Amino acid sequence: MNKWYASLGKEADTVVSTRIRLARNLAGIPFPSRMTAEQRRQVNEQVRDALFADTTLGKQFKYLEMETLPDITAEAMVERHLISPAFAARREGKALLLSEDESVSIMLCEEDHIRIQVMEAGLAPEEAYRTANAIDDALSARLTYAFDERLGYLTECPTNLGTGLRASLMLHLPALEASGGINRLAATVSKIGMTVRGTYGEGTKPVAALYQVSNQVTLGISEEAAIENLRAIAAQAIQQERALRSSLDPDGIEDAAYRALGTLKFARAVTSQEFMELISQVRLGVAMGVIKDLPLATVEELMISAGPASIQAAEGKPLDPAERDKARAKLARERL
Amino acid sequence: MLCEKCGKNVATTHIKTSINGVVESHHLCADCARLSHAVQNQFGLSDLLGTFFGEGVKTVPYADKRKRCPGCGSCFDDIVASGRVGCGQCYETFLEQLLPSLQRMHGKAVHAGKRPRAEEAAPTRESELEALKEQLRAAVNAEQFEEAAALRDRIHAMEEEGKDHE
Ligand SMILES: [Zn+2]
Ligand SMILES: [Zn+2]
Repeated sequence: MNKWYASLGKEADTVVSTRIRLARNLAGIPFPSRMTAEQRRQVNEQVRDALFADTTLGKQFKYLEMETLPDITAEAMVERHLISPAFAARREGKALLLSEDESVSIMLCEEDHIRIQVMEAGLAPEEAYRTANAIDDALSARLTYAFDERLGYLTECPTNLGTGLRASLMLHLPALEASGGINRLAATVSKIGMTVRGTYGEGTKPVAALYQVSNQVTLGISEEAAIENLRAIAAQAIQQERALRSSLDPDGIEDAAYRALGTLKFARAVTSQEFMELISQVRLGVAMGVIKDLPLATVEELMISAGPASIQAAEGKPLDPAERDKARAKLARERL
Repeated sequence: MLCEKCGKNVATTHIKTSINGVVESHHLCADCARLSHAVQNQFGLSDLLGTFFGEGVKTVPYADKRKRCPGCGSCFDDIVASGRVGCGQCYETFLEQLLPSLQRMHGKAVHAGKRPRAEEAAPTRESELEALKEQLRAAVNAEQFEEAAALRDRIHAMEEEGKDHE
């Protein structure tokens, strides 16, 4: 079965992916940071059984006990955005329910008892929410959630109280970044309870012009309103990015995109950071129609498979950094 | 094409400017483009959390400091120290202490979203009225008088409606 990122979504020229996350906890059991090993096992099994009891949904998931997985497999899952880095780092007593196409992952005993996450290619917050909501309904038909009339779904961190919903978009904004427009976007976004962050970067320097926009406020706002806000911000960012792209010098774009493509096609060793900068240029070239015979979906798939752990998982053995850079270059050559 | 500023890196940012009819092209590398615009990373969740419990601590009277949650045994200091709430019952136990922080973070501290299936049938007139009254108090406190007036009208309407049914 094809993975979700191998298909192309809406507004793919600027929107890489959509992610919806719902945080839920079971009533009467302490939150994960205060749980015993026995309580973790209980929660994992109760949620698993509740999902598997649903005749249609149950069939689509497999249940994984995280501590049985090798480090590389868990880290590769982080690179594919299936689980959080913290979940991969401390796997004891944690479990994962994963759908076959990897678009849905349910982390058990992460920061909350249940974290339902749905990924979609491109701009699709409504679709992703619908999927997450159906899973939530199926679980809550068989489980009793910690819920309060006034505070909504109760969560370990008060930042998630209320809907427990985090809706985010991964945007590719090279032109907006180059024009210095990210700060303005961030200012607009923060006014309606949302935030913009650079992704893939270490510290303050964003890599590959990838930015994540997500809602910050979860209490006092409905799921629909939060998603509407996200859509409104997306519309604004997409429109600005497109306008700026069309004002760029096309000869320069073409040169840069083909230089990046050339490097990726012929290089013998590429670091993760260099890879992301190059693939970002290629992505812009493909999205603007400058590079013609390369499907955008191929670029997306390559982007998600080139992290250090994914490279090692694909090779089936641990590699030192120099070997990884060679393997990454080989992967890029083969795919492009 | 190499960056026109540093001459070292490949130019990846191509800007065309048109000032008074004079069109100019600039070709910069990512580093030089960033330097010229200083793209700054945005505030994230951790900053919000850093200030989250700050004020609540001082306002808790001494007697309350020894209060423990019947669900998980946490006291309010445990929550402040870890930044994590112990269990669902903690919210009930320490609601008063938590509310100022919740309101700072979320604004209106009244749930407006989905409800679990088991309670779906339950949004009774009473609970809805209670929520509206809470919103009214918040609006008055925040001096949002237009919103407050609208809320007050809705509450009146609901109370009138209630009388008709009795
Ligand atoms: Zn330069
Ligand atoms: Zn508690």
